[in-house]
Amino acid sequence: MGNKQTTFTEEQLEAFQDCTFFTRKEIQRLHGRYRELAPHLVPLDYTNNPDIRVPLTLIVTMPELKENPFRDRIVETFSEDGHGNLSFNDFVDMFSALCETSPRELKTIYAFRIYDFNRDNFICKEDLKMTLNKLTKGELTPEEVSLVCDKSMEEADLDGDSKLSFSDFENMVSKAPDFLRYQDSAVFIKLPLINNVP
Amino acid sequence: MSSEPQRRGSREAYDYDEGNGYPSEQHALRLRWVSSRASNQSYPQHDLSSTPAEENEEGDSGPPRDLRAIPLPMALKRAVRQVQQMQVPVVSSRQSWRRKRTKSLHELKEKARESLYFFTLWRKSLQKIGGNFGGGVQSYFLFLRFLVVLNFVSFLLIAGFVLIPSIVFRSAGTSLINSTGPDECKVYDPNSQGLVEFYKYFLDLLSGTGFMEYSYLFYGYYSNTMVENRNVSYNIPLAYLFTAIFYFVFCLICIIARMGTTARVAVATGGSAVGNYSVIVFTGWDYGCQGDRATKLKQKNVHYRLQVDLEEESRKKRAAALTLCQKIALYSLRVFMCFVAFGLIIAAFYGIFVATNFSQTKSGEEGILGLFFEYLPSIVITTGNFVVPLLCDQIALLERYTPSTTVIVALLRAVFLRLVSLGVLLFTLWDQITCKGDIDSHDCKLCQYNYKVHPCWETRVGQEMYKLTMFDLLVNIALLVLVEFPRRMVVDNWSSKLAQWVGRQEFVVSTNVLGLVYGQTVVWTGALFCPLLPLINTIKFVLLFYFRKVTLFYNCRPALKTFRSTTSTFFFLVVLTFGWCLATAVMIYSLAEIRPSMGCGPFRFFPSMWSIVPTSFYRLSTITQDFLFFIGSQAFSIPLFALSCVVMCYFIALASVYGKSVALLRAQLKLEGRDKQFLVKQIEKLSRQHQILKHTAGAYE
Repeated sequence: MGNKQTTFTEEQLEAFQDCTFFTRKEIQRLHGRYRELAPHLVPLDYTNNPDIRVPLTLIVTMPELKENPFRDRIVETFSEDGHGNLSFNDFVDMFSALCETSPRELKTIYAFRIYDFNRDNFICKEDLKMTLNKLTKGELTPEEVSLVCDKSMEEADLDGDSKLSFSDFENMVSKAPDFLRYQDSAVFIKLPLINNVP
Repeated sequence: MSSEPQRRGSREAYDYDEGNGYPSEQHALRLRWVSSRASNQSYPQHDLSSTPAEENEEGDSGPPRDLRAIPLPMALKRAVRQVQQMQVPVVSSRQSWRRKRTKSLHELKEKARESLYFFTLWRKSLQKIGGNFGGGVQSYFLFLRFLVVLNFVSFLLIAGFVLIPSIVFRSAGTSLINSTGPDECKVYDPNSQGLVEFYKYFLDLLSGTGFMEYSYLFYGYYSNTMVENRNVSYNIPLAYLFTAIFYFVFCLICIIARMGTTARVAVATGGSAVGNYSVIVFTGWDYGCQGDRATKLKQKNVHYRLQVDLEEESRKKRAAALTLCQKIALYSLRVFMCFVAFGLIIAAFYGIFVATNFSQTKSGEEGILGLFFEYLPSIVITTGNFVVPLLCDQIALLERYTPSTTVIVALLRAVFLRLVSLGVLLFTLWDQITCKGDIDSHDCKLCQYNYKVHPCWETRVGQEMYKLTMFDLLVNIALLVLVEFPRRMVVDNWSSKLAQWVGRQEFVVSTNVLGLVYGQTVVWTGALFCPLLPLINTIKFVLLFYFRKVTLFYNCRPALKTFRSTTSTFFFLVVLTFGWCLATAVMIYSLAEIRPSMGCGPFRFFPSMWSIVPTSFYRLSTITQDFLFFIGSQAFSIPLFALSCVVMCYFIALASVYGKSVALLRAQLKLEGRDKQFLVKQIEKLSRQHQILKHTAGAYE
């Protein structure tokens, strides 16, 4: 280390290492990716913690997010202002929470927040409908959509209040076999590209 | 103002869930104003106050573990970290030393885990495949990797105990038993060609004859010697036998261990408690980064899966609504179609039988035609494995099962076809060797096996298995070059309707996995007669991995119909176990029933392969003999059996108790939810009454 201009101080890197699931190299690569999105906006030198936010429209052009139907919701959930403008802290946070090494419980918490479109801490029927429509992009007829939503609600809602609280969601998702093994979900960003960045 | 105590009270009582079930209007509005993440700090499950307290109590778990898993924004996490760090100097020097030690140990573990990742085979490739094509396709490649590792370790086992001692002790050592028996049986001359042409080497390579026949590749080359120097004593035939048996046991243990991890996942998901729809909606997307076309296909995939479930529901309704007459008609149609499918499979078996016999009669041919006749059984098997499932698919359309049942029935038929066709091949070979089981027939009377046709029958069986393996590999290469790449080029560059209808190839996981299981079963059957077959299979599977990966990325599109990843892995391991059982049956029959050839191999003068074990047994010391007798006797085995029954009953009881307690807890959860709602309604009603009272009291004044 120390052959080029330093992006972070030692203690910043240590803080990042302690607070995320990334190593120092990966954090610097992430900074490179972050900078790629808006080279004129993001400085190379982060030692004095500049308060820069990259807007939503640029973040969703990343290859990992471009094809994800929930990209807007994901970025909004991790942004501090709630509108999808990510600072570097939020950016690292997002990838750390959704990467492969993060624990299932953490991902479940964030998945719940992402699926909760109206941010009332419950997944109600409208949230479900929006989720389903984003997933199938209008392939299902409206009757089928409401049938699937009814059935999903019926299956997952344990306390019978016709919406899913976090414990309902967690219970349902933890039983899904694919979720346990491979953690397939629309929300989770697989990171095949982040390790290949030079 | 007066609604404040109500809200605070409810928050205290139900602090595990911030919003209560029926928010009043103001409450809901408040929640909508608060849109930033920081205010969601009182989110469930992560009570920050407990974390530093735990820290001080144990002083053991390092901060990284807790901090990373807290669902807070980075700025808050750093604040927490600073607080934690500031608490450190309060502890004593001894505790700080311990803390530093655990922290460095932790870092060391992380580094070790990272370097272990480096050694895991194909980790990056599998990650890429999973990321681009999803869990179903990734499960195929994981299965393939498991088989590669299994074959390689088995090869090391065989090399260590059989191959290397054979090479080292080739010239040393004395023959175990002196030759008894008629001289005609001992005639075995595999190198009778003389001067051979160059292309014949290539043909020999493919069919295992000629220069390859009398080599370490096949059973016939190993010698019937035992070495007994001053310091080392090695009984090669015994080693050969025990290595073969241990190889089978080792493979079974590996399969069961792997099944255990998969089964744990399958069991943890519970029975039918969680249904299909919610799971598909929330966890159904196989994420990929392949561009717009792939995304549309993924969406169609989710749509397809939902439709499958919807269709099953409507089918069930329709099936319940059938009249008796229609039901009888449907069931008789199904039975008839079952017979038709069965008939097709039997026809395939008969074809294999005829082909094997024909191939044997033509075994003296030279050149390319000879090679064709050698490969005739393999060709018939492969053609049958390809054609019959296609026909069975057409039959399944008439049977009108539900979609999931159709898939399972098709898979079972394919498995049955593949494994039993291999069994038919072996049965035909055995018929030839033992003159159809009739020891006293003219050909077999002298040596108890057909010495004229098969002077060294074990090598012959080994060659047959070797040919099956090679042919499988050749067919895969040929398909890749001649079918898959051209198909993609045609579909991409020629925009006719036919090309679009055919479309790019789909990677069908189940067919590919069945191919792997078939290949592995062939290797298991042949390992006793062709000890280097696991090594050849390792190389074959490694090549197959790269071929499949290339085809996946260049020629395939994401599948429209997908499998549930986890249950299918379990199913594939079960099918692999069936293959193992078939191979074990073959091995036991060869060991116990057929007389080994007198002209070749390590067992040449024994009445059966197994009989070397009693012979060597009586050479052991008396104490060991007595001990082994005791273990085999009833006084030991019956109590052992009873003990294992007791242990098994214990585990079954434990499992059923856990299942029942899970069901009870689930019911309790439901009840508590309803209780909560009831109480909330009561509180609202009371508070409304209280408000009304206050207003009327105020109005009075």
